[in-house]
Amino acid sequence: MIARANPEAVRESSLTRWETRAKLIGLLCLVFAFASVRDTRLLAPMVLLSLAVFGLSALPARHLLSRLKVPGVFLVALAVVLPLFSGETVLAEAGPVALRLEGTLAFLSVAARFFSIVTLATVLFGTTPMPTLVRAMRSLGLPALLGDILLFTYRYIFQLAEDLHRARVAARLRGARFGSIRSVSTTAHIIGSLLVRSNWQAERVLAAMLLRGYGSARSLEVRRAPVARDVAALALCLALAAVFVLSPALIG
Amino acid sequence: MHIPDGILPVSVAAAGFAGAGAVTWLSLRRIERTYPDPRAGVPRASLLTAVFFMASLVHVPVPPASVHLVLSGLMGVVLGWFAIPAILVGLFLQAVMFQHGGLTMLGVNACIIGLPALLANRVFALRRLLPARLATPGSAALAFLASFAAIAVGAAAAALLIVSTVPAHLDAAAERAATFTLLAAHVPLGVIEGVVTALVVLFLRRVDPGLLGEPRR
Repeated sequence: MIARANPEAVRESSLTRWETRAKLIGLLCLVFAFASVRDTRLLAPMVLLSLAVFGLSALPARHLLSRLKVPGVFLVALAVVLPLFSGETVLAEAGPVALRLEGTLAFLSVAARFFSIVTLATVLFGTTPMPTLVRAMRSLGLPALLGDILLFTYRYIFQLAEDLHRARVAARLRGARFGSIRSVSTTAHIIGSLLVRSNWQAERVLAAMLLRGYGSARSLEVRRAPVARDVAALALCLALAAVFVLSPALIG
Repeated sequence: MHIPDGILPVSVAAAGFAGAGAVTWLSLRRIERTYPDPRAGVPRASLLTAVFFMASLVHVPVPPASVHLVLSGLMGVVLGWFAIPAILVGLFLQAVMFQHGGLTMLGVNACIIGLPALLANRVFALRRLLPARLATPGSAALAFLASFAAIAVGAAAAALLIVSTVPAHLDAAAERAATFTLLAAHVPLGVIEGVVTALVVLFLRRVDPGLLGEPRR
């Protein structure tokens, strides 16, 4: 079973009340500013700022932890490779294994950026329903075709997750074993039948959508204009992003 | 093959977005020229994107571990130019819902998965040159080759990007070893994806050849 991008019960917070376009621009600017951080002196402020934003969002901590789990595996691999094989200054040695300063700093830098970016992304998508987000992206210039595919895909993922689950249970009841390499053939046939059924369903969906006025301008309207508070929060985000981007050059 | 956030420099992320933007613009132009009403293709592309999204969550055992499918080759084979917006959307949703890949790496990941999908589409299109008696085995062989090539090219691009930009002081021998290890780890995935794509193509030829751009029986 798959989880939605935002938790079922999102508590009201200043982040959920923030106008979506301003929130999208503000948090994405911070995300890219964090991605540009290379100065180790900025790592702690970056992590603290992302934690402060997460605190403001009132999202449950387990929601963030579940988002960190999957890409964390990649980070664990880097935690082995960088400190042990990258750099020349040896910090500690045990037989043939040596912990190196440059590699350790490079790993800490990657880990801090990764954590901060994932935290902000979790806040952005955890406090904004997907349809609202896509509407905001459309009003900021996302091509109509991409926006429509995004919304429809998000709508059908959950239905297809059910279909896939049912197909796998049915195959298992007929004797298929998904733990073995022979399951590749069963998996291919399940994917094939899902493709065929979805293609047939797409023709009916298109007919229903056209009857409901698909493509009319009304569905693209943004529902709320930004107020002074939204603009102030956006300005604060842009200023903080500028600090992270420019401070290494200013403080030398 | 999904590169997570925070690993590559922001300049590479920016180049990735520029590349993905250009390819997306090109694919949208081709879709507009090819289809009389491009929005009529939206439900089909969305449903198929959702199928690929779900199928990519399926784990296939490769002893002693298991791998999850990428299906970039199959997307290229079935969706053609629609594969680029579909992959972009799929990657965005994977980044948002599971943190597979990442927001800042969306452009880079779209390039290393989307461009090989287009390559797979061109490789699979070679079946039109085959004589009729070789159509079925030839289609399966080209589907395998197209999917394997998509994984190999994507994995090579990801390995080169990671190894050449991440470690500050990695020596040349360690760099070569890391590139080789990353590539070798993707060989079983390439073979499995090739087999899955070939089997799906054989299934679609029997059940609904229209999905492969062939006349329906």
